[in-house]
Amino acid sequence: MLFLALRHLLSRKRQSVLTLTGIVLGTAAYVAISGMMLGFQTFIVDQLVNNDAHIRISAREEPIEPHSLDEDFFGPEALVDWKAAPSGRRDNAYILSPRFWTERMDRMPEVAAYSQQLVTQVIVTRAKVAKAARLIGSDPARQAQVANIKNYMIKGQFTDIGIGGNRIVMGDGLLKQLGASVPGTVYLSVGKGQTQPFKVIGSFHLGVKALDDSTLFGALPDVQKLNGTPSRISDIAVRLHDVEGARELATSWNILSQEKVQSWDQANEGIMSVFTTQDIVRNSMTISILIVAGFGIYNILNMAVTHKRREIAILRSMGYESSDIVALFLTQGIILGVLGGIIGCLLGYGVCEIMARIPVADRGLGGNHMIIVFFPGIYVRGFIIAFSSASIASFLPARAAGRLSPIDIIRSENS
Amino acid sequence: MGILLTDIRKSFGSPPTQVLKGISLEIQEGEFVSIVGRSGCGKSTLLYIMSTLDPPSSGTVLIDGQDVNAISSRELHRFRNLKMGFVFQFHHLLPELNALENVLMPAMKANRQEERKAFAISLMEEFGLGKKLKSFPGQLSGGEQQRVAIARGLVMEPRYLFADEPTGNLDSANGNAVMSLFRRINQEQKMAVIYVTHDIDFSKMAERTIQMSDGLVLS
Repeated sequence: MLFLALRHLLSRKRQSVLTLTGIVLGTAAYVAISGMMLGFQTFIVDQLVNNDAHIRISAREEPIEPHSLDEDFFGPEALVDWKAAPSGRRDNAYILSPRFWTERMDRMPEVAAYSQQLVTQVIVTRAKVAKAARLIGSDPARQAQVANIKNYMIKGQFTDIGIGGNRIVMGDGLLKQLGASVPGTVYLSVGKGQTQPFKVIGSFHLGVKALDDSTLFGALPDVQKLNGTPSRISDIAVRLHDVEGARELATSWNILSQEKVQSWDQANEGIMSVFTTQDIVRNSMTISILIVAGFGIYNILNMAVTHKRREIAILRSMGYESSDIVALFLTQGIILGVLGGIIGCLLGYGVCEIMARIPVADRGLGGNHMIIVFFPGIYVRGFIIAFSSASIASFLPARAAGRLSPIDIIRSENS
Repeated sequence: MGILLTDIRKSFGSPPTQVLKGISLEIQEGEFVSIVGRSGCGKSTLLYIMSTLDPPSSGTVLIDGQDVNAISSRELHRFRNLKMGFVFQFHHLLPELNALENVLMPAMKANRQEERKAFAISLMEEFGLGKKLKSFPGQLSGGEQQRVAIARGLVMEPRYLFADEPTGNLDSANGNAVMSLFRRINQEQKMAVIYVTHDIDFSKMAERTIQMSDGLVLS
């Protein structure tokens, strides 16, 4: 029936082209929007996964409830009516048993690397300029295994921080705000104790302004000394061999420990929920376009069935079966779906290529053009959506055509 | 062998109106038969029942000794494709196909279009359509279209050709040409031709005339 289906489509060129255009645009829109949105998501996820830990273990924070101190003060049986109930936060700014964790990490095959950190807020001063910043103290060799920071260095080497000697690297935004340079000297203080001079031996550009404007890396002993907390750590950043397992592993560790354990996606649930919303919007919009195209096919084939009643009757009288008639109309929908899907994917690819050349703000290693992904899955999904919507839309008219009785048509034509 | 109808009844609608009231008749192989009668007497219904397009409400239809009600739908369609040809008052050509492709449509169903192509062309040349092979229905006159429809009915060299008012939509010259064609096919190919007509002159061309009135065969 392919021959006859093609002739049917070609005999009503304008309608066929219009319907095809609908499918092409729907598919192209899906491919282009997916390429753009997934490109954005991939960039953000890449930043989250590779610039920080897959799993972060940090000191747990716990709000104090009105009766949460009753037992500590008055024993387990006491019924206490506080005049002024205690409030506040019971937290440990430090991981209580880092050795427990390090021994555990060394044993776990899932763990690729880990880095003990002391993260603290500091005031960075250079001349008369002072800025608040976040200082991360770590072993630079280990830190470089956990995150991709060394790839984002624009001046100096990350590992040159060493294991002591008050050397730091800072985000290029912060460097600019302070009017500092590499090499140079800045003064750090944590609000208690003395201000100490640190030598700036490098700068980095992550492409995330909030981080580039406020982050410093130093050696762990130096930061512990600055903070007045020798041997203390506040975080352990963990890199896994398989990032996909991060959530499950973090949840299981969280149950067993006093510390707060979060995977990269748990720590950024707000961003992940934005991605989910984006996906819903992207899919809804595309499905809407394809539903409209599907209705186009449905209407055109419905009209064709009505107009072709005589031909259907004559085909049946020649020995064509009901299934042949269904195939005749279904094939038309499938041809439109396949052609529309292929052309739509090609058009979408072209649009993606053009969008990928649009200049945007510099994003560090992300380059300075729009990030568009060309995952084969997007094209396969776009084609399947076009093909399915066309097939489903043509099935109903095709089935109706197959159910027409030839003799009823002949009688109605003769009467 | 031929076609044997036994006590054929056919009712339509609700409450049922009986259109055929117990018809029994036999049509021999190679016969040239006309069915005549007033409008509404059941001529076309009888033709469609004996050609298997319409099932009877009761009674049996045997074609070449085979009960058509007892065979599967697939077999019935195959039987119709290979052994029967149809010509209707309204020629019903497929407008998106040229004349030759229209003639080859039954062969296409049997996947024998290449095999039947030479025969289809010879039929069309015989019917004076040799120069119209690639013409589309819209480019043909009414008489030419009807001849294409007849060629389509004959392309599989069926044993039976059924025609419902084949001249009803033609002028007398074209009508005569069609009837002469039927007669020639019947004589040369020994194909049974059964046709319904209102025209007395055309009915007289048949070897045998079935006269109908109010759902019954008079003679």
